[in-house]
Amino acid sequence: MDLAGRSHQNRNISKQLLPYFLVIPALIFYVLFWLRPVLQQFIDSFTNEAGQFTLNNYRLVFSDPDFGIALANTAIIVVISVVLEFFLALFLALLINRNFRGSSIFLFLVLIPMALPAVAVAAMWKTGLTTNGWVNSMLMYVGVLDVGEKIYWLAGSRWKMLALIIIIDAWQVIPSVMIILLAGLQNIPRETEEAGYVFGGNYLTVLRKITIPILGPTIQTAVILRLIAAIQIWLIIIVLIGFSRVPVLVERIVYYEKEVPRLEVSPLLVAGYTIIVTVIVSIAAISYLRVSGAFSRRDAEVEDGVA
Amino acid sequence: MVSPRQRLLFFKGVRSTLFYLLVITIALIIILPVFFIVSLSFLTTHEAYSYPLPLLPGVTSKFSLTHGERGYLLSVYDRVAGEYETVLDTDDLEKMSVYMKNRLGTTVSIEELEQQINRLANEDPVYFSMRTDLLHNYKLFFQITRDAVPSLIRSLQICALTVLISLSVGGLAGYAFARYMFFGKDMMKFSVLFVRMFPAIAIAIPMVIILAGMGFYDQPIGLALVYSIGNIALTTWITASIFMSIPESLEEAAQVFGATRLQAFIKTTLPLALPGLAAAAMYAFIGAWNETVSALILTQFNPTFSVVVYQSLVGATGQVNLAAAGGIVMAIPALLFTFIIRRYIQQMWGGVTV
Repeated sequence: MDLAGRSHQNRNISKQLLPYFLVIPALIFYVLFWLRPVLQQFIDSFTNEAGQFTLNNYRLVFSDPDFGIALANTAIIVVISVVLEFFLALFLALLINRNFRGSSIFLFLVLIPMALPAVAVAAMWKTGLTTNGWVNSMLMYVGVLDVGEKIYWLAGSRWKMLALIIIIDAWQVIPSVMIILLAGLQNIPRETEEAGYVFGGNYLTVLRKITIPILGPTIQTAVILRLIAAIQIWLIIIVLIGFSRVPVLVERIVYYEKEVPRLEVSPLLVAGYTIIVTVIVSIAAISYLRVSGAFSRRDAEVEDGVA
Repeated sequence: MVSPRQRLLFFKGVRSTLFYLLVITIALIIILPVFFIVSLSFLTTHEAYSYPLPLLPGVTSKFSLTHGERGYLLSVYDRVAGEYETVLDTDDLEKMSVYMKNRLGTTVSIEELEQQINRLANEDPVYFSMRTDLLHNYKLFFQITRDAVPSLIRSLQICALTVLISLSVGGLAGYAFARYMFFGKDMMKFSVLFVRMFPAIAIAIPMVIILAGMGFYDQPIGLALVYSIGNIALTTWITASIFMSIPESLEEAAQVFGATRLQAFIKTTLPLALPGLAAAAMYAFIGAWNETVSALILTQFNPTFSVVVYQSLVGATGQVNLAAAGGIVMAIPALLFTFIIRRYIQQMWGGVTV
């Protein structure tokens, strides 16, 4: 891109155009591989084989007996795990933020689960929760279980399975929530909290009246990002308990796409379920972007343009 | 009498002891599962199926040989029970050697077995110990899992392609974001974030037909394109913040000294940006390496390594020690890279909210 030999005017124009040349590859990539498939999927979900408009796909999804259960299971997992993970992560972040002796090693350890791929975490708990697995072995070594006594972790009611999934999910993702909260905590100037103590506040009042309110936007960020990920939970469920026992939304898509792809209704159900997941996640994502201020800056630019 | 000062010190001591007990408990909750899966991946098949599982893998295994009904009776020392357990009765030494290799993690040649059997003339039973091959689960995993080796190579190809595409495309956009004001910039910043949060499955499902049309279905390049969608967004954000932190005046100074714009960029900004660009590349690599749902949907005969490990877990017939070994192989690159770029993790989360 040797511009040295060109005239001053030419050079100015090409300088103005340069940023567009730089973003055009990304733009083309998005149009081809993101916008096109997503729109295609959206249109397909409203058309029948003859290419006419139909609501049949969605009617089919809503009449699928597993749909209600999958939606309910997803909602239960999302609500409980987001609340649980938030409080435990906040607790951990506050703990690490105290800068005690050894806190940097502790931070290092706490971040390990975040670095593990979902498949590795699934392998870890699958080998742990079988009846002869390491969880029962460990409980036997510490004396909780008698010799020969075993707990059947992976058998039982829907509620027990949901609890198990929520706990394992929490084990893996609390670090990623914690790291966001910790970054927020570290940005709070020490003096702000010290002022609270000067005016006679104890740890809990300072936390409730000063730290948490200042942390507000960070908390919203952490919670919504968690929400988006929790809605899409599937792998750990399939590995631990298999298909269809505790159906959730994304698990249904994988089931109809990979397990029973030859069923006549499968592609229709896949299309319907996919759009439903897309809409739910998009709502969460847009509310995140609104909270994080991405919208307000865009509005500001629009106003600038008008002025 | 206890002085108030002593009482204060006592309570302080109790408090800090309780505090560290809490910290250690949390650390154990995180470390123990990791410890057990690592330990399990080194156990022999025989040990992995005993209950309770041994806490640590053994470096050596102790055996005893005696005469049995069908030939020779092989026993192995069970470290948990503290006694010898008979595992095989055969006169076929080749069978015994294979059994010891596959089930007991010990490589023994037939000649070595004959030596031990010759000793039976003088003493009965014969005791001997052999080194355990700690990596035998890993070797076995790659031997008996269909597609394990090709899928590993394929996964590395996909990761490299993803890094290449997302760093070049995203890096250019990131530079534009950092250095220029242009029409639609904030709109694009917003869409980049939105794309990053878009559910992977919602892109993978329609991509089946699109990639099939391009001839890229079940091909490494197809998955690399899909992974690049989210990673271009991430790279754009990371590189934008890197380029913003490098003063533009450096490039201007280079241009004053007669360098072209491109030369100025290559000679001044690029070297300074390299560590950050490496971090962005590692993010893209880990993202592509860890991903499973798109890989499952967009491959058929050419799965990625994560799909192979996933399938060995879902199959449920797989041996637990092999599943553990597969899981560890899956985790190694991610762990390695994450701890190299640990410094950048916080920066990135900070970057998301700013």
